[in-house]
Amino acid sequence: MKKSISSLITLALTLTVAGTMTQAGAQGAKLKACFIYVGPTGDIGWTYAHDQGRLAAMKALPWLETKYVESVPEGQALPAIDKLVKDDCKVIFTTSFGYMDDTLAAAKKYPEVIFAHAAGFKRAPNMATFMADFYQVYYLNGLVAGALSKSGNIGFVGTYPIPELKRHLSAFALGVRAANPKANVNVKWLNSWFDPAKTREASEALIAEGADVLSSAEDSATGVQTAGAKNIPTFTHYNPMLKFSPTDVVSGHIVHWDKIYIDFLSKVHSGAYTTKNLANVDYWWLLSKGAVEMGADMGMPFNAKFVPQLKAAKMMVGGKPVSVYDRVVALNAEMVAGGKFDPFTGPIKDRSGVLRVPAGKVMSIGDLNGMIWVAPGINGQVADEPKK
Amino acid sequence: MIRFDPISDVPRSRVVWVTLVALLVALFIAGLVFVAAGTNPLEAYSTMLRGTVADWSGWSEVLRRAAPLLLIGVGLTLAIRAQFFNIGGEGQLLLGAVAAGGVALFTPIAPALMMVAMFVGGALAGGLWALLAAFLRVRLRVNEILSTLMLNYVAASLVVYLINGPWKGEKVRGFIYTDDFPAYAQLPTLGDTQVGWPTLVLGAALAVALQWFLGRSTGGFELRVVGENAAAARYAGISVASVIYRMALITGGAAGLAGVGEVAGIHHKLLEPGQISSGYGFTAVIVAWLARGNPALCLVTAPLMGIILAGGDVLKINMNLPFRITDVFSGVMLMCLIASEVFVKNRVRWGR
Repeated sequence: MKKSISSLITLALTLTVAGTMTQAGAQGAKLKACFIYVGPTGDIGWTYAHDQGRLAAMKALPWLETKYVESVPEGQALPAIDKLVKDDCKVIFTTSFGYMDDTLAAAKKYPEVIFAHAAGFKRAPNMATFMADFYQVYYLNGLVAGALSKSGNIGFVGTYPIPELKRHLSAFALGVRAANPKANVNVKWLNSWFDPAKTREASEALIAEGADVLSSAEDSATGVQTAGAKNIPTFTHYNPMLKFSPTDVVSGHIVHWDKIYIDFLSKVHSGAYTTKNLANVDYWWLLSKGAVEMGADMGMPFNAKFVPQLKAAKMMVGGKPVSVYDRVVALNAEMVAGGKFDPFTGPIKDRSGVLRVPAGKVMSIGDLNGMIWVAPGINGQVADEPKK
Repeated sequence: MIRFDPISDVPRSRVVWVTLVALLVALFIAGLVFVAAGTNPLEAYSTMLRGTVADWSGWSEVLRRAAPLLLIGVGLTLAIRAQFFNIGGEGQLLLGAVAAGGVALFTPIAPALMMVAMFVGGALAGGLWALLAAFLRVRLRVNEILSTLMLNYVAASLVVYLINGPWKGEKVRGFIYTDDFPAYAQLPTLGDTQVGWPTLVLGAALAVALQWFLGRSTGGFELRVVGENAAAARYAGISVASVIYRMALITGGAAGLAGVGEVAGIHHKLLEPGQISSGYGFTAVIVAWLARGNPALCLVTAPLMGIILAGGDVLKINMNLPFRITDVFSGVMLMCLIASEVFVKNRVRWGR
């Protein structure tokens, strides 16, 4: 009897010790997160921004271990994922829309690994989606562009005519028209995410056709440099690009992927996110979450050089003249605070005159992600536009 | 003072050892590049080997690269033997892919015959694309290095036009590629890898068949004579034009097959030219050159280049080396091999 009690106590003790040990193990265990990039980390744009996000997450999360692969062609994500899984990656971020189907296939193939895909719309129990979207910032920059353009001709270098770009282009054009009702946005498409040579060509062509303000959505600083060489106001894209053209970058769109990465990875680490419960996890983070920022540089919404001109420019808001500068500052503050202003509030017609957003309605995330029409004021071919 | 004395009849052993030395020199120069990138070259090479040939998943990546390289490479050995410098493998591959896409998406062929129709169509399209350059050379004396190279760009533009315009998919949300091929137009693969085994089998069969053709058939003999001395061939009553045309159909056709394999086995749709092929048409020139114009030897050299390409990916992933390192690697290797040609054909003498 005594012996059995003592052995029971020993057993209980052993179990407790073992239990605390495994717990301690889990606490101290590193989490390995891996990243697949579509461009080189030195692109100064999209991929560079993701890599900055990775580095910031490393700094913030001591238990995090990371690895990345750059310049993975969109048709070839699966072999790269195979290697990363073999390398013990527990969380894999695939950071380009074109990886969507490969990521989904990989999620089925490796049910024990957590996947997160940027900018897509397909999910699985172990595959979430995430996006830090710029459409609000594009609207603000559209206001700025409209105020600065004298010719009323604004150039836009687009990558692929997919919903994401149509959303950004349309938000930009809505802003342009709000500040300058007679202005137009001319668009040229690259059909590539990263192609400095084509970007230069397209930018120069737009400028030659009369554009006196230019915005480029390509993943490098080429658009900013080309505009800078001709002294044309332009916008930073994904990262601060002020240094590439200090006298011409007015404002722009800056991303903070680290906000999403840190949140997601912390929830994986704490056990809130598992390989079973991600089917409805979709990060759609905007100004209010701090995942995106309007600015020529971090913490610098406007290049001081352009402030007087923006203050002098007037636009009509609710029947009253307001300076464009004040309007941008006010809307930015409102959207950062999570207020109710949204660029895609109806009534909005598309450029062929069809009512797309009824009065008083706001586009849903689903609508924004499936957007195929573009706003009035946009000139140039746009593929996949709905027929009248 | 260095002097080169031509060797009239080069012994095979000399070819082998000069080639090996050239490879060693290439490894050494590439090693210097690794040092410049802050990596220990020995560690880099061992990482490459461990990530490629040490286990099945590594081999699957090697074979995925080797399949198209083998097909294009064996075709190019014929071209090399006929002294027809086909730099247009890339374009011929793309034409094969276009034909495969057209057949898979727009013809009402029975599912059971679909794969065969795609391969036949791809071979024809690639072959005719090469024939164009051959025709220009025979009839108008247009240098085939230029014409085949330039036809690559025409082929790429054709693909871009098709996927942007008439063939653009309806379910692709503005991206530029076609819809997915139906399931029966997708190549079976080995397990859950991306290795389409039919292309590998085709490549191996073609390597053996063409080796026989070159060495044992009248057609092969004619081809070799045309390559070594066109005037003599003409004197012997061989129709140089018809030999060149047949050779072009085979070399282009083989590249076309590779194109079918890429789109039917990996992508399952027609997409941007740069993503369809990743430069196999050019890398295959090294495969054929390393094999010194022997189709059967491509069975060794194609996997070798496969190891280098797949190994480059391993370096990229495991050591975070810049992605261009693979290009540097294969470039250095081709340079050394071409430069070694002079040492194969000549004895070097020092002094006067």
